[in-house]
Amino acid sequence: MRVWRLIGLATLATAALLLASGCSLGDDDDDDGGEAAATTGATTTGGSDGGGGNLLSTVQSRGTLNCGVNEAVPGFGFVSQGGDFEGFDIDYCKVVAAAVLGDAEAVEYKPLTAEQRFTALQSGEIDVLIRNTTRTASRDGSEGATFLTTTFYDGQGMMVRADSDYQELEDMAGATICVLSGTTTELNLESQFQARGVEYTPLAFEDNDPLQQAFTAERCDGWTSDKSQLAGIRSNWPDAQGGPDGLRILDVTMSKEPLGPVVRDGDSNWASAVDWAIIATLQAEEFDISSENIDEALESDDPEVRRFLGQPVEGEAFDPGLGLEPDYAVEVIRSVGNYEEIYNRNVGPDSALGLERNLNALWTDGGLHYPPPYR
Amino acid sequence: MSATTAAATRRPPPWRDVRVLRVAFQALFLLVVVSLVLFLLDNMVFNLRRLGIETGFGFLDQPAGFAIPDSDFRSSQSVQDAILQGARTTLVVALTGIALATVLGIVVGVARLSPNWLVRRAAALYVESFRNVPVLLIIIFLYLAVFLRLPPIGRAIEWVDVFVLSNRGLVVPSLAATGSTGPFLAVVALALAAAAAAWIWRTRRFDATGQPHHRVLWALGVVAAIVAVGFLATGRPYGLSLPERGDLGVAHGFRLGPEYSALLFGLVLYTASHIAEIVRGSILAVSRGQAEAADALGLSPFQRLRLVVLPQAFRIMIPPLANQYLNLTKNSSLGIAISVYEVTKVTRVSIAQGSPAPQAIAILMLIYLVISLSIALVTNLVNRRLALP
Repeated sequence: MRVWRLIGLATLATAALLLASGCSLGDDDDDDGGEAAATTGATTTGGSDGGGGNLLSTVQSRGTLNCGVNEAVPGFGFVSQGGDFEGFDIDYCKVVAAAVLGDAEAVEYKPLTAEQRFTALQSGEIDVLIRNTTRTASRDGSEGATFLTTTFYDGQGMMVRADSDYQELEDMAGATICVLSGTTTELNLESQFQARGVEYTPLAFEDNDPLQQAFTAERCDGWTSDKSQLAGIRSNWPDAQGGPDGLRILDVTMSKEPLGPVVRDGDSNWASAVDWAIIATLQAEEFDISSENIDEALESDDPEVRRFLGQPVEGEAFDPGLGLEPDYAVEVIRSVGNYEEIYNRNVGPDSALGLERNLNALWTDGGLHYPPPYR
Repeated sequence: MSATTAAATRRPPPWRDVRVLRVAFQALFLLVVVSLVLFLLDNMVFNLRRLGIETGFGFLDQPAGFAIPDSDFRSSQSVQDAILQGARTTLVVALTGIALATVLGIVVGVARLSPNWLVRRAAALYVESFRNVPVLLIIIFLYLAVFLRLPPIGRAIEWVDVFVLSNRGLVVPSLAATGSTGPFLAVVALALAAAAAAWIWRTRRFDATGQPHHRVLWALGVVAAIVAVGFLATGRPYGLSLPERGDLGVAHGFRLGPEYSALLFGLVLYTASHIAEIVRGSILAVSRGQAEAADALGLSPFQRLRLVVLPQAFRIMIPPLANQYLNLTKNSSLGIAISVYEVTKVTRVSIAQGSPAPQAIAILMLIYLVISLSIALVTNLVNRRLALP
């Protein structure tokens, strides 16, 4: 009897707890739940249409940005020998943190595989995904993802061993080709080879590490990925395998790959804040403002520059209403730099990757980057 | 009537009545479980809708878009076909793995009890080293350190036309249909039926007269004879497909890929080490008197094992063996680490390419459930056959 009563009490207590927590969770559907949601829920206007989020204030009260990144692509997102995250995408995590939190180092990096990334984004584990992710219609449509301004215009390429005599994809009939699974690259590979009527065997790995092992062991004849990634891998190729000269990237472009940051659907405040943080780097390059001359730029008389940097024009600082500090661009440029600096530091002609600007030049130089006006 | 009313008056109040409490608590428990499940389900559907993610199963009919190597699957086929192709690979790995692990496990388990010092110690070394390492590590080690280290295709090991071994797999000759195979397959079915008849006939004769039955030999002989005659009579419908090495791969023949081999052998080596312990324990559990009685009858050591000890040990080992079979089946999902396109890999790729994760994972769990329950069903049937009445 006693045992029964104990069990009964325990069951009742559990049931009550579950029901209570169930109700509260059901009522307030914030992804992050918990205290942050409770404290910030009142301060923002909430969303306009049912699924309103308030990630911007959640991130600001948390004080750190959870950024989903790559850890295995030199130049874009990788862990340096000192154990720090480095690369083009990593710098953009810093840009967002500098704009939103005023501190470029307040980033919690979450390394993700290609297959994990959208699940991590949907579940709220990360606030923003900056992991060389290609914008496509179905990702926009059915992954619950919102793609923002493209940071890097890329194309899919094919890397082979330098001693092989492939020149184009048609030469690769019967070859085995290594690819990362869960990427647009995997789908392009299939459609490109099918369109050309070339037989091949795909070998898709979850990580670059076993893929590199397989490629080194001559298990596969080609390695396909975004050209920028291939350049990064080639630049880091171990000397025991012949160094960068042991590999050759074919002169074919198999696809369009616009890479950019991604946020969850349904929170347009957050999306705009992240988007304009990115745009600020492009705008800064257009205005020729860099981390070196930012202090002089602050003294500029040009009203457009003053408006961009949040400096008073006729006594009042321009606030576009993004939920960011009016002078957020100053912190971004000061601590991370403009687009040109970020590009050159990580992937530019003088870096190990040696990629020319080409499509990634500003529109004024014949490239595709065209920041919308800041007013 | 008066007796029941008297009993009723003696009944304790409901909150102290065991019978009432039992039912009440069970009902409450059920309520809690059901409401929890409903809440989680509702929460999931609500949040998926909010994010604009599909909540139905329409994605199964969408074209998959990705390719599956070493299969007839084409990327224009549906996601459903892709998952089924993956389930087929899982099933093949599981069944081959179970068969090989059982044989190896029994051999090693018996060897652990061998009077020969070297055999006994070698078996113990094998069991202890494989049983105590995570199976994922064994699989990755076999892949990276053994199968990928075989010579590349340009320097493949060849032995006339019989096999080609490289890090793109082992290719052996296979049978290829050269004409219509229907009549021949009918002959094979006939041969199997005849073999079954021969088996029953020899068993009856043995029961009646006590003559040695040799039923295995008889059955094999009947099959071989009928199939051979049928093969020639139906105009040789199968030819031998010999491997031919090219620059990039091997044409014809049957190919056992390095990824698949690493998974299969990893699972077999790991599971067999557990099975060996089960076999050893079960043999030791057979009463010593049985073995002594067999010795007294003048049976050879092998006959003692096969006719007296093992049949009784089997009865003990079936339930734990079933457990290992289920483990092997579920562990086959580790093939994802080395790019084996079994059902988990295929499902994950399809999720990454746009299938909604909750539904796809639910289907994946259902597939494993069906495979595992089928294996459990078979082992339970065997167990019931062997159990003492």
